[in-house]
Amino acid sequence: MKLSCSEAAELCEKAEYKEVSLREKIKLKLHLYFCRMCKNYYQDNKKLSGLLKKADLKACSHQEKENFKEKIKQENSQVSNQQKKH
Amino acid sequence: MEKNHLNPEKWVDRYADYLFNYTIVRVNDREVANDIISETFLAGLNSMKNFKGEASERTWLISILKRKIIDYYRRNNSSKGQAEVKMNFPNSDNEGDWLEEKVADLSVMTAEDQMENRELGLAILECLDQLNEKQATIFKMKTIDGIDTEAICNEFNISPSNFWVIIHRARIALAKCLEKNWF
Repeated sequence: MKLSCSEAAELCEKAEYKEVSLREKIKLKLHLYFCRMCKNYYQDNKKLSGLLKKADLKACSHQEKENFKEKIKQENSQVSNQQKKH
Repeated sequence: MEKNHLNPEKWVDRYADYLFNYTIVRVNDREVANDIISETFLAGLNSMKNFKGEASERTWLISILKRKIIDYYRRNNSSKGQAEVKMNFPNSDNEGDWLEEKVADLSVMTAEDQMENRELGLAILECLDQLNEKQATIFKMKTIDGIDTEAICNEFNISPSNFWVIIHRARIALAKCLEKNWF
């Protein structure tokens, strides 16, 4: 039943991504009750999640990235062909 | 001082998300943003010989991107002949919704808030650069794209507990970096 700090760390992360089971949640809470260090980490980590949410990061899709890569590749071969000619 | 080098094969993986976040807030249209970013990469390729290695690769690409965005503004304005001001007047089709709309409006962030959040976003992406590539990719897949843990584990052939260790390290590094650079 007793949790080590590294096990607690894993549960802290799972909690931020809402992937803890109820059982794990209780174990974690219990550990945090006795462990100051993990408790601090848990709280800081929560704040980080808040920042990440606030930043509302967008990502290019895989397809968009592939398109970029394709264009770069084409251009690159053109550029090197021209250099060869000169 | 050590000189910076350009590595075009890595540009997309390293900077596409950063450039995208930078651009999307300024042009507000995904397709336009993508066009501008490809133009930026191509312009970068064509002017590689002008890169002196004093700035970082990212800074250099951003300076090209900025010019491309300005070009876009110019083109856009001259084709319309004038700047356009858009306002959202409640239209009569969805009358009755107006009260809710007004209420919702109150919670809409101000432009400054949005700008600040965008800068925070860029700071986060910059910090993620300092992680190793695998860590950064996994963290982004999970946190930004919201991909399932299981799918990521399969793709990288790692165990779930391995996965959480990577996430844990990434988040610790990110928090440290943000603390140093943002606050």
